[in-house]
Amino acid sequence: MVGDSPGAGTAAEAAYDAGDLGCGELVMELRRRMLALPPGAVLALTARDPGAVLDIPAWCHLTGHALITDRHPFYRIRRKEG
Amino acid sequence: MAGRFCVSLTCAKDNSDKATVAFVIANAAVASEKETVVFLSTEGVRVAQKGYADDIREEGFAPLKDLMANYAAAGGKILVCSPCFKKRGLDEARLVDGAVIVGGAKLVEFLSQGAPCVTY
Repeated sequence: MVGDSPGAGTAAEAAYDAGDLGCGELVMELRRRMLALPPGAVLALTARDPGAVLDIPAWCHLTGHALITDRHPFYRIRRKEG
Repeated sequence: MAGRFCVSLTCAKDNSDKATVAFVIANAAVASEKETVVFLSTEGVRVAQKGYADDIREEGFAPLKDLMANYAAAGGKILVCSPCFKKRGLDEARLVDGAVIVGGAKLVEFLSQGAPCVTY
């Protein structure tokens, strides 16, 4: 479990520090990492690109993954079923 | 979420900034689970040729070769304008992964079924 990063509120099964990565490169890497997790698992993401503020909620909306923590640059995303 | 998305690219090394950003956006679309097509026409067809993009790297972005490889690996398709490709004497035996040569009807079919399109 990864539960001690800033913005934590829900324990996470994995963590990813994307640094300054943004736009399509960020969500492509995020996609890869989310698909590697089992359904229901939580990824603790750190994304410092200023575009992430709007991009991460949009990506979660598009893909169906649940954004459970949204405090830039700290995010927690629960992988959808299936 | 179902849906389609098209990125139209008309540049290659004549504007490597646009060529790179086109594939960044295409990556965003395919990573967002959209059925995604990059349509290459006019000068843009050159990036479909294996090896051509190997030395394109814009500051602040991943190398174009990597962006294209990640896009194809995630299921993204590349449609290459046939007359544009032929006009430039390019080699259809050396297409990058995910690329297929098409006529205009294939693009029209894809867009007519309801797909937003952004052009670079």
